[in-house]
Amino acid sequence: MKKYLYIFQSELMTNLQYTFDILVGFVSYCIMIFIFLNLWQYIYSDPSEVIKGYTMNQMIWYVIVTEILWMSLGGRKLCKKICNDVRSGNITYNITKPYNYVEYSLFSHLGITTLKIFLITILGMLLGIVFLKEFPKLTILSVLGVLLSCALATTINIVLITIIGLISFFIEDANPFFWLYSKLILVVGTIFPIEFFPKAIQPIMKYSPIYVVSYGPAKLFVDFDTHRFIEIIIIQVIYLIIALLIAHLIYWKGVRKLNVNGG
Amino acid sequence: MAVITVENLSKNFKVKVKEKGLKGSFKSFVKPKYNIIKAVKNISFEVEKGEMIAFIGPNGAGKSTSIKMMTGILFPDSGKIDVLGYDPTKNRRKLAYEIGCVFGQKEQLWTHLTPYDNFKFFGAIYDIPGKQVEKKIEELRELFELEEFMNTPVRNLSLGQRIRCEIVASLIHEPKVLFLDEPTIGLDPVVKEKIRTLIKRMNKEYKTTVVLTSHDVSDIEKLCKRVIIVNKGQIVLDDTMENLKYHYLNKKIIDAKMKEKVNLDSVEGINILKDKDYNLKLEVDLKKKSISDAIKLLNPDNMIDINISNVPLEQIISEIYKDGDK
Repeated sequence: MKKYLYIFQSELMTNLQYTFDILVGFVSYCIMIFIFLNLWQYIYSDPSEVIKGYTMNQMIWYVIVTEILWMSLGGRKLCKKICNDVRSGNITYNITKPYNYVEYSLFSHLGITTLKIFLITILGMLLGIVFLKEFPKLTILSVLGVLLSCALATTINIVLITIIGLISFFIEDANPFFWLYSKLILVVGTIFPIEFFPKAIQPIMKYSPIYVVSYGPAKLFVDFDTHRFIEIIIIQVIYLIIALLIAHLIYWKGVRKLNVNGG
Repeated sequence: MAVITVENLSKNFKVKVKEKGLKGSFKSFVKPKYNIIKAVKNISFEVEKGEMIAFIGPNGAGKSTSIKMMTGILFPDSGKIDVLGYDPTKNRRKLAYEIGCVFGQKEQLWTHLTPYDNFKFFGAIYDIPGKQVEKKIEELRELFELEEFMNTPVRNLSLGQRIRCEIVASLIHEPKVLFLDEPTIGLDPVVKEKIRTLIKRMNKEYKTTVVLTSHDVSDIEKLCKRVIIVNKGQIVLDDTMENLKYHYLNKKIIDAKMKEKVNLDSVEGINILKDKDYNLKLEVDLKKKSISDAIKLLNPDNMIDINISNVPLEQIISEIYKDGDK
């Protein structure tokens, strides 16, 4: 485990040199939040109105949290890196090291995400407080619960994207799969809570990645409930274990198919 | 004692083939066709502890594929590999603690970190206690003369400095076997020479077994006592460097400066390579003619200067490659 923490630390050290780049990324976050702020203010003609169980402020806080989780992730960069590692043969160095590539990828990307999520969270909370002049009712314990759920959401997201990247062992380019995944999370999971979708597909969505990587933590943030917290954490842990097993299986199978020519 | 044993190793690659043009692209999409490339064909050899061997061959000969199988990166189709008592396909993680790899065309260092931070990182990866890593870094810093750029981010280092750091990163865990895959590629002659001296010094200090692949004949000549030449997936020669140089082709080169112009024609066993003004360059095949025959032919009284040398290793290797192609 110590080696993986060192991988995490090294990536964090690297990213600390690029704090300015992260700050530039804040601009797109602010634009997104500004768009959704206006969109929901337009949809909610009366701020006290409740749609599908959400007040306008809850709705905007929901988007603030889901956008923090998605924008701090840098999923496209991760998928591209794994695809490149596999296709260019750079993975060879990782294979000759005494660690597992799946865990290496996870901890290395957590190192990239940690600083980003910390800085974007500060920005998101500031934007929410400035524009909404209200903060969801949360105790210290529930804040810790939300943080745990957010950490699990990010971890699951990284493992799922790692799985997509590892598909490169079997096909030429896995990036289109990432495109589909990102659109699913962005359009379906980030903007609207599950309750906004037809009742018939809600149970399916509960088992989809959307529930564990965006809906779960955001819902806990806007409307914390102990029963819901336990349910979400259990589902997240099960999801993480299964995703890790699948990632390991794909890697195990893929390495046997590896075809590194020349040099 | 053999640290590497390879027995009847083979590896095939499946490569997609496409007919030319748009029609070919559609055909390939509907019904893809594949060619089987036999990259490594039934090779066997052993490497002794502390040996520095060159594993060479033309592009596509199968040398990198063989090295990748020995390090556990690629899985062989058939045959057996034993590296330090481990089967790389089954005990890859355990073997990783015992071997080091440097691929000249790939990067293993974290480019935004300094060499020192990189070495600490590799120490942690190999579960080496902090104090021990510090001691090792200090030792290798001196051996590889890294002092002046120890705290400069790797991205700002020259290629030569980076390669030195790559090698050090591979030595942090004191590997028993070091695989160097074209470590001097792209370096200038001065830096190449420096890297060679350092590799030699490392081999002497730590008794590390080195398996080297390179297209640079000087690397092989100056570092290795044994050479394995691979061509078209097969071993075409496995011999000592000395034997390779002096016996394999059995040829000598005579450079002579004459008082007067000599008009010579090639005869059996003596081939005229160059005849310009008063200078002559002959290649003597010692199986057919002796050196004295060649000198007699030149007439020693007409000679100002003479130099007899071996055929350059580069030429010998090219000949072996060509023989393998036949």
